Amino acid sequence: MIFQKSTTKNVVEEEMTQFEAPVSSEKVDEVETVVGPSVNVEGDFASEGNIIVKGTVSGSVHTSRFLSVEPGAKIMANVRAGNAKISGEVKGNLKIRETIELSSTAKVLGDIECRVLSVEPGALLFGKVSMPGIEGAETRSARPRASRRGEEMVEVGE
Amino acid sequence: MYVYLYDNFLRQKKYDSVIKAVEVRLTDYGIAGKILRLNNFIDPKQVIDDEIKRGAKTVVIVGNDATFGYVLSRAATCDCTFGFLPIGQNNTISEVLGIASGVEACDVLSKRRKESLDVGWMNNRYFVSQLHVLPSKLKVVYDERFSVTTNEKMEVVVCNLQPFYWKKDKKDNAQQVVHPQDGKLEAFLRPLTKQGWWGYKYEDPSVFPFEEMEIVSDSPFTVEADGKVSKEVKVKIKLAHGKIDMIVGRNRKF
Repeated sequence: MIFQKSTTKNVVEEEMTQFEAPVSSEKVDEVETVVGPSVNVEGDFASEGNIIVKGTVSGSVHTSRFLSVEPGAKIMANVRAGNAKISGEVKGNLKIRETIELSSTAKVLGDIECRVLSVEPGALLFGKVSMPGIEGAETRSARPRASRRGEEMVEVGE
Repeated sequence: MYVYLYDNFLRQKKYDSVIKAVEVRLTDYGIAGKILRLNNFIDPKQVIDDEIKRGAKTVVIVGNDATFGYVLSRAATCDCTFGFLPIGQNNTISEVLGIASGVEACDVLSKRRKESLDVGWMNNRYFVSQLHVLPSKLKVVYDERFSVTTNEKMEVVVCNLQPFYWKKDKKDNAQQVVHPQDGKLEAFLRPLTKQGWWGYKYEDPSVFPFEEMEIVSDSPFTVEADGKVSKEVKVKIKLAHGKIDMIVGRNRKF
């Protein structure tokens, strides 16, 4: 095991020679951002590629592509992504451009904004879900609360 | 004009036949040139600069990964084209460059397919293949935007050209490999978690492609860049502005 020897290049190189060149490297060839287990990330975490989270992230997460939150992972941040699959815990608002998938182990505390939402039985969700596509919904939500209530009251009165 | 930098280990008798075959092949192609032998007291940058003044256009490194790293970490800024003739064991970079080991490498050299390669910059020197920080309590800051920490010790490997090989544990037979891409550096972080009284266990690595990162620690940690070992408290790693022109093979992995 090359990383368990704490010294010298020679040892490392000897070990390296024992390894044969991999036959099929295509599977792992595409390097993406991976936050491994027992790793804590703090701050403005942004990436241009896919992100796989297995550890803890706090601050904010942003990717234009795919975000996967693995079981056991914890995100305490507002999230923006192209697509997402949540199997871990998220505390924060999720703004997903396309599809979000909540698997049975998912726990989400926050609002979700997406085009397509898929929820597996067993997933926990506490928050508001908004999706574009319903006529008038966007304009209604955009108006200030007080005036909307006023309008409603007027409607009732009529 | 070609200049060949031979590593010191090629003096061993077992390499005589390969060296002879390579030299014959190079003469056949008409690209034979001056041969210089490296040793611990020779600064490759000075030697290469002298040869460039005398008219050398191409400098060919003959040896293994260690030779490649040793020469290019010092002579990355030299204004010439570099070639590589991998001989012997420990040649993983040549696979990335698409250069076959031994005599076949002369064919690649003669075809002169040139590519620009990125060079990593660490504190005040270059590294070409790989930078390795041995396990210690570290904090890694990426692009001054987010930081990565672990509860226990952490090991960091930054790959530029050399692929990263790792196994989950000692018993794991399936060896995993990640090939670095050209155009950016990849950092592999492997946290260690305590197991039993003295033992430590490696976790799955985290991967972060980056342009600039800073590794800081309260206590000095060991850094190994292209075979050169040093103790540091703060390391700043980024992609160098300049690139090196390298003769590569058709089967290169970038």
